[in-house]
Amino acid sequence: MTLYNPMDLTGKTIVITGAASGIGKATAILLSKLNANLILLDINEKGLNDTKSQCKPDDFIGTVDLTDESAVETILKEAVSIRGKVNGFAHIAGIPSIAPIKAITKKEAQRILEINTLPALYLAKILSNKKYKAEESCSFVLISSVYANVGSSANVLYTMSKAAIQGITKSLAIEFAPKKIRVNCVAPGFIKTQMGEKINHFFDSEHDTLIESMHPLGLGTPEDIANSIAFLLSDASKWTTGAIFNIDGGFCAQ
Amino acid sequence: MEELLEQLADILEIDEIKPQDEFESFEDWDSLSVLSIIAMVQSKYKIVLTATEVRNSKTAQGLFELIKNKG
Repeated sequence: MTLYNPMDLTGKTIVITGAASGIGKATAILLSKLNANLILLDINEKGLNDTKSQCKPDDFIGTVDLTDESAVETILKEAVSIRGKVNGFAHIAGIPSIAPIKAITKKEAQRILEINTLPALYLAKILSNKKYKAEESCSFVLISSVYANVGSSANVLYTMSKAAIQGITKSLAIEFAPKKIRVNCVAPGFIKTQMGEKINHFFDSEHDTLIESMHPLGLGTPEDIANSIAFLLSDASKWTTGAIFNIDGGFCAQ
Repeated sequence: MEELLEQLADILEIDEIKPQDEFESFEDWDSLSVLSIIAMVQSKYKIVLTATEVRNSKTAQGLFELIKNKG
């Protein structure tokens, strides 16, 4: 008897952005175990190759700057010609931003939006097109943050970029429902990743203890978020759209 | 140094700061000021400072030396 796995992704082609490290890498490895065909995108070629070495040999990797819409479409066109039309994507690439309001600039605000938020629109626009979208089930997953739900000092640009993701999720869920494309969002709590390490210098050593104490189940791992992404990409969530999943160890329950 | 003094005055919401003035003597000196200085230095000078380094620099002169040494 074959084991029943409602999250099986056999035959599905999935695009993952930010696949070179952290949550993106963990998601790629998990989806590969669930037998998905992968199109892995990131600006970091070395990290992508490392991720691919833990996935299937014929998975597609593309080094691309996600802020360049036409470059994204060009590489997706190439990927689809090789791996076939796609059944969904997870936009995981993102960067942190720690700055009180008095230290922010318009240029920095635009940079954060261009990396964290706008690619969600480009990817949805490109991959909802019949030229690239598979006929059968299709699911888009966007990554927000607990900081789109609760306030946080010196975090306004990141919050802005991640709150926008929640709005995009709900609007596109409605717009795409007639096309049978589901759009959902995961809002992670604090995860131990390289992205977190990039902002450690802003804080004193007590900060880590404080952040950990805000998570009743402790800090998360990239795999904790990858599991929820896999669920949303699979047919196990076929009646779920426009949803925001707080995967945060209880952060927002308080 | 002049540019740094102007930026520090802006962060601390004062008209002027002198090189030897202690950061802690200013009413607006707090943890957000430290974050603002780290963000400003990273953006303007492409140098990454830690919160502890900024606190330990004590004065505008100390911060200037820190940036110079890490540059």
